Amino acid sequence: MMARVWDRLARLGQGWGGLGLWWLLLAVLALYPYIGVTHLTLFLGSQVFVLVILASNWNLIGGMTGYVDFGHAVFFGIGAYVMGILVTKSPLLISPEWGFLQALPVSGAAAAVFALLIGLPTLRLKGPYFSIAMLGTFVAMREIVRVLRPLTGGGVGLNLPPVLNRLGDYYLMLVLMGLVVSVMWWIRRSEFGQSLIAIREDEIGAEMRGINTTLHKILAFMIAAFFTGVVGGFWAWQNTFIDPDVVFIETRTVEMVMMSMLGGLGTVWGPPLGAVVIYVLQTVVWGRLFGIHLLALGILMVLLVLFLPEGILGMSGRGGSTSLGRLLGRIRKRAEP
Amino acid sequence: MKTKINELATLPNRLGILNMTRLRMLVLGLVVLAALAGCARLPTPEVREDVSSATSTEDGAAANVIRIGAAVSETGKYSREGRDTRQGYGTWLEWVNNEYGGIDVAGKRYQVELVMYDDEGDPDTVARLVEHLISEDRVDFLLGPYSSSLTQSASAISEKYDKIMVEGNGASESLFERGFRNLFAVLTPAGNYTQSALKMLAEQGAKSVAIAYEDTAFPTSVAEGAQRWAETYGLEVLGVETYPRDVADVSGIMAKFKEAEPDVFVGGGHFNDAILFIRSAKELDFNPKAMVITVGPSNPKLVQEVGADAEYVIGPTQWEASMGYADEHFGTAAEYAARYEARWGEPPTYQAAESTATALALHLAIEAAGALDTDSVRTALLDMDIVTFYGPINFDDTGKNASKPMGAIQVQDGEILVVAPGHAAVSELRYPAPAWKDR
Amino acid sequence: MDQVLQALVNGLLLGGFYAVMVLGFSIIWGVMGIINLAHGEYLMIGAYLGWGLFRYFGMDPFAALLLILPLMFLFGYVLQYVLINRIVERPHLMSLLITFGISIALANLFKILFTSDPRNVSVAYNGSVELLGITFPIVKSIIFGVALLAMLGLHLFLQRSRMGKSIRAAAQNRTAARIVGVDINRTYAVTAGICIAITAAAGAMLSPTQAIFPFMGPPLTLKAYTITALGGLGRIPGALMGGVVLGVTETMVSRFVPGIGTNLGVAISFVILVLILILRPQGLLGGLRPVDPDAE
Repeated sequence: MMARVWDRLARLGQGWGGLGLWWLLLAVLALYPYIGVTHLTLFLGSQVFVLVILASNWNLIGGMTGYVDFGHAVFFGIGAYVMGILVTKSPLLISPEWGFLQALPVSGAAAAVFALLIGLPTLRLKGPYFSIAMLGTFVAMREIVRVLRPLTGGGVGLNLPPVLNRLGDYYLMLVLMGLVVSVMWWIRRSEFGQSLIAIREDEIGAEMRGINTTLHKILAFMIAAFFTGVVGGFWAWQNTFIDPDVVFIETRTVEMVMMSMLGGLGTVWGPPLGAVVIYVLQTVVWGRLFGIHLLALGILMVLLVLFLPEGILGMSGRGGSTSLGRLLGRIRKRAEP
Repeated sequence: MKTKINELATLPNRLGILNMTRLRMLVLGLVVLAALAGCARLPTPEVREDVSSATSTEDGAAANVIRIGAAVSETGKYSREGRDTRQGYGTWLEWVNNEYGGIDVAGKRYQVELVMYDDEGDPDTVARLVEHLISEDRVDFLLGPYSSSLTQSASAISEKYDKIMVEGNGASESLFERGFRNLFAVLTPAGNYTQSALKMLAEQGAKSVAIAYEDTAFPTSVAEGAQRWAETYGLEVLGVETYPRDVADVSGIMAKFKEAEPDVFVGGGHFNDAILFIRSAKELDFNPKAMVITVGPSNPKLVQEVGADAEYVIGPTQWEASMGYADEHFGTAAEYAARYEARWGEPPTYQAAESTATALALHLAIEAAGALDTDSVRTALLDMDIVTFYGPINFDDTGKNASKPMGAIQVQDGEILVVAPGHAAVSELRYPAPAWKDR
Repeated sequence: MDQVLQALVNGLLLGGFYAVMVLGFSIIWGVMGIINLAHGEYLMIGAYLGWGLFRYFGMDPFAALLLILPLMFLFGYVLQYVLINRIVERPHLMSLLITFGISIALANLFKILFTSDPRNVSVAYNGSVELLGITFPIVKSIIFGVALLAMLGLHLFLQRSRMGKSIRAAAQNRTAARIVGVDINRTYAVTAGICIAITAAAGAMLSPTQAIFPFMGPPLTLKAYTITALGGLGRIPGALMGGVVLGVTETMVSRFVPGIGTNLGVAISFVILVLILILRPQGLLGGLRPVDPDAE
């Protein structure tokens, strides 16, 4: 019974109904500030939206395409630094308050271009080799940024003008989140998305069926990098200060992986759900656990792998409603005699 | 070429981007965009812009309370220093409420409520908490978090809301190059960390110096300052090297410096690096006549971990209990230390002392202003010129405390003893240090 | 010339340590196809054990190895039996994630137990001796010697003993090994036990040379990966070669590039890693077999 309800929900989520509900939610969130809010609520809102965007993007390459990116925060960092450099060094921006809106797409574009350059070689790698190559890229980038002192300020970092606009930030991230999740929904339904999933399930088979796997992987990677870069640029602006250690921080990738996993890898609605759950856990529950929350996070991760590898949205009774769930089911069946 | 173009033209089709459903969606998207544009004509939602403090807006019982907020690490990478900072603030809080009888604002006594949260050493969290302190808890003033980098994030928010933040744990000079009007720091800025030590060493006959520093904000300020002071005191700079955070091996640097044979080695970084420098120098038989290491030597833990090899190492210190400063509130530095130890069961580190001094400076500025509004208190802070148990406090236009000299300590027979500046010294500098083989 | 020779010696000594610290990582990967992201944390545990035994029982860190090896063998055995064996045959993502989770949990557990204050062991003989105009750091030279001994011992074990043969059989073909009666679960647990014990021993030897703290692990894990990529999978001579190449490169760069040498030295090992993976995914000497969950 539960399983059937769950399946119906899953089908709804993949269909137009899911998108409709999503837009309804966006509309509610857009009207929310009218009922009277404080800067804090707006700020919390934009932080959650950022996490939803990050998790969804990681899921595109890690969950749907099956390329587990352990260095995805490198795009966040590149976006942040492009923003920082443009805002502090470029004379082209119109004004301190609005210039950052000009710089934002550039941050994303820079990250996408970097994704193209690094993706061409690394996306040829399979399985864990890709993961570690990206982790290496991430760490190498941190050190490279540190060495490029004239441009990046080296280890001292860059100070951006503190022009904080919480209401503007809230709407900006709301729109971006709405866009990103809608794009994910569309990708999941499109032939493009089906091809990505085919690549995840069996790359050689996909190739033989005539799918240009390289093109698909690179495109997915660039989309994921673009939005991550935009969010990185936004973060730099909002935090007003960047240095290699606050921007290129491993935890950020860990969070993306955790949120996607918790919600359900390869699903459209899992990563946003995972992001919200983890954010609530982090601010409400773990804040009171006096220093053990990272220990709890690690243990949670182990438990997830052991008992809930398909995430919250993959919990249906039979073999899982997610493709990864089915994949896992198949492997498990094969492992049994 | 032609086929290329053809391929590109059919690309959307092959990717399944264009067909009827997608077109329909595109139209729908445009409708939504139009709706959004319509929304843009709606009035801007009203955010509670008013962040004036609870004290000045509410009347009744709460009116006799000044609320001060701080986000300080209880967990995360700064948990240790964060605890010192909390205890330093706490020392002042208990004193001002119980002994002093509350802050005296134009003849009226105000009790102090201190709202503290754990920032976990994370810039996102610190931003969220400072936002919370200002817009939900409605604090009147803010005290700083621990570390330069978190102070960077936190002070941008307090600046935006026009709230005063006094801090004692962010020494990086870039904090004060942003033109902020509401950020004040009681501690000696990083550039002056090595001043006393280099001056003293130059007087003892040192001729040359080599500098290695971690490539992050605070050590960079220290190293740039060290080069400046070396020039001032006539020391030749033989080499400057950087290394990344959490480095595991500095033998390359030490081998280079061994070749250069400087009289003085200056190492700027964190506690881990202090251990590495001492170990590598001994392993490679690098024998400078003095080693000045910025963070570490003033902490008894270094001697505990490194043992006899820490002997002769010189370190700058913001404050030591043996220094000769005093004020009418906490008495001498030694009396402050006794009070602190009685309350918390451990002697104060300089992070604790500077935190108490931070709160004290804010307190005295409020009293001098005789008012609670930001402008009056800012003026009072800028006009401030006092001596406390922690040392002189006199803010310059950027908010730095330019008048406090840095002290220097040396590890002598396992003890941490102040050797400079002259009036605070309790022991003579031992110079030159013997070679490793002769110890 | 002397300087070059000195830098070469320093690089070699560093490389010897790298080799022994990478062994466990390389063998676990070679035998089970698991990339162990908690590798650096096992080193960290070893380092803390070395420090604790020295601080509270006055034990020399090298003598303490005799205690640390069996203790950590047990730890590795149990960990493998209880946790990792359950996901060995699942897709790669799962083993990466579970070891990642273990690494976060262990680092933070040690932070709670020992705070994040850096620790260090102060042995009396941590100076240097001069030989033919070259300075030899005593502790690092001992580490180099112990590293060679450990590698020799492990080599003999894998080649000669019955268990060693089972391990090699399981590495080559899990299914076939199972058919001829190898108890895979037990073999894996023994492999993990040995690997983690050696890793922890390497960590304990680290305790007199540098600061140890709960979050020292991840950079070491990445380094282990780089060295494995350089030297090949599960091969003891390969580990030595990879370790020495990386050690000498780092030392040379940090010694002879002025100003930012040490920064570059750290960056370079990761650049090497990415380059090797891109240019020669099979590893510098070959032997990095692509591990595919569906291959069996």
